Amino acid sequence: MAERTQQEVWKLTPWLMIALLLGNFVLMAFDAREINSGQRIIRVWAQVAADFVQSPVTTISSSLTGYFQSIANLRTAQTENDELKQRVQELQVQITQKEELTAENDRLKSLLDLKDKSQYKVLTARVIGRDPSVWFDASIINRGSLDGVKLNMPVVTDGGIIGRVTAVSPLTAQVDLITRDKSGVGGVIGEVGTSKALGTIRGTSKKEILEMRYVSGSVEVKVGDGVFTSGQDGIFPSGLKIGEIVEVRSGSATTPHQIFIQPSAKINSTQEVGILLYDPPQLPAYEQTLPNSETRKKK
Amino acid sequence: MEQVKITIALVIAILLQWTLRGIAEPLAYIDFPLIIIVYAALQRNTFKALIFGTIAGIAVDALSGGLLGANGFSKTLIAYAVAEVARRVYLDNLLLRIPVIAGACLLDDLIYYGTHKLLGQEPVAQVVVTIAYSLIGTTIAGTIIYLMLENIFSGDVKTRKRDMFSARRQTRRRNPIRLGKRT
Repeated sequence: MAERTQQEVWKLTPWLMIALLLGNFVLMAFDAREINSGQRIIRVWAQVAADFVQSPVTTISSSLTGYFQSIANLRTAQTENDELKQRVQELQVQITQKEELTAENDRLKSLLDLKDKSQYKVLTARVIGRDPSVWFDASIINRGSLDGVKLNMPVVTDGGIIGRVTAVSPLTAQVDLITRDKSGVGGVIGEVGTSKALGTIRGTSKKEILEMRYVSGSVEVKVGDGVFTSGQDGIFPSGLKIGEIVEVRSGSATTPHQIFIQPSAKINSTQEVGILLYDPPQLPAYEQTLPNSETRKKK
Repeated sequence: MEQVKITIALVIAILLQWTLRGIAEPLAYIDFPLIIIVYAALQRNTFKALIFGTIAGIAVDALSGGLLGANGFSKTLIAYAVAEVARRVYLDNLLLRIPVIAGACLLDDLIYYGTHKLLGQEPVAQVVVTIAYSLIGTTIAGTIIYLMLENIFSGDVKTRKRDMFSARRQTRRRNPIRLGKRT
């Protein structure tokens, strides 16, 4: 085949650019539609392809980082060692006390005929990738549909909730963090069931601060109060810790409070997470007939 | 050979973009694939730059919370714009390339943000702060990377310059004033 001259190439490039731009725009339009419908097929397969490269690269880079961190940590090892020795002695005393309390607790439980039961199964996962674009805050975890992960399952750490699953491929899943402004979480200030301070929690432009809206201005709220999931969003089960109130802009009888929350989980530095294998309760029949329930039915 | 080297550089750039945020958050502000795409466009290889723009953009979008194709869209457009400028203006000097990479970064961020806004998926990050940090990070990293790439590709660049500007020298030799002096 004869090689094209530079002039021919320059004539063809605008057409190639238009074709590529159109292709990208179609992809974007499909993806935007899929975000709303919950079925992100194109993204899922793009992630599957990327996972074959990203997983080994993440493993190598994290082991390299760990190696250099361990070298850096050697500097402070002696001081830490002394502190830890002292701490071990204190803990030994505490353990003895705890053992006595545990035995007492078991006796009392058996008296009351209570059983230890976990409400939801937790699947542990590792964060294998952070959003490569600085504009968003998604994370990729190393569990997918083959492990039983489904769309919208809550993702937690020991500190509290961090987000929900928004795309699932066979081997990986994408987690949208609660700091994203489009991630609404139903929240309650104080104890679930007794508190009247219900509202919606969303991300703000500040990465580590959440905003709680629609809490009635007549309800008393103060800085330091704990905020938990209310279970009314149909995604997160009730009673999971979200964070603590750091600022309250008081409302009135007619206007709601504006509340700012510090998440209790270390959202941006978490490496290990737990996925709650939780299926939210089905909507009542009359709610399923509402127009905006279409997306849920598809799931 | 030069094309193979640029392809390898692009693959490394994508891998860095995927992994560096997990190691240190501020490194996410450097757009490594954009740096390589602009470099490819500055070599006046528009075809390659356009394809690189789309592939690198989609690769970044695949693991991002943003729209799939948004980075591909913006980077393809940037590749074309830079290649067109490089075709008309002499940009083989490193000092001239610094404003090009800065402008490309600014334009890329604005297009990326604009497309998301257009399709109702507004990004989480603060626009002005993100663009400012991204501009600083990408420009500094781009300058350093271009210095490195110039060293790697120095032989190829000399050959390309000779091929590109040989026609101009011939025209000068045929200058009628000089010809007149000779006679």
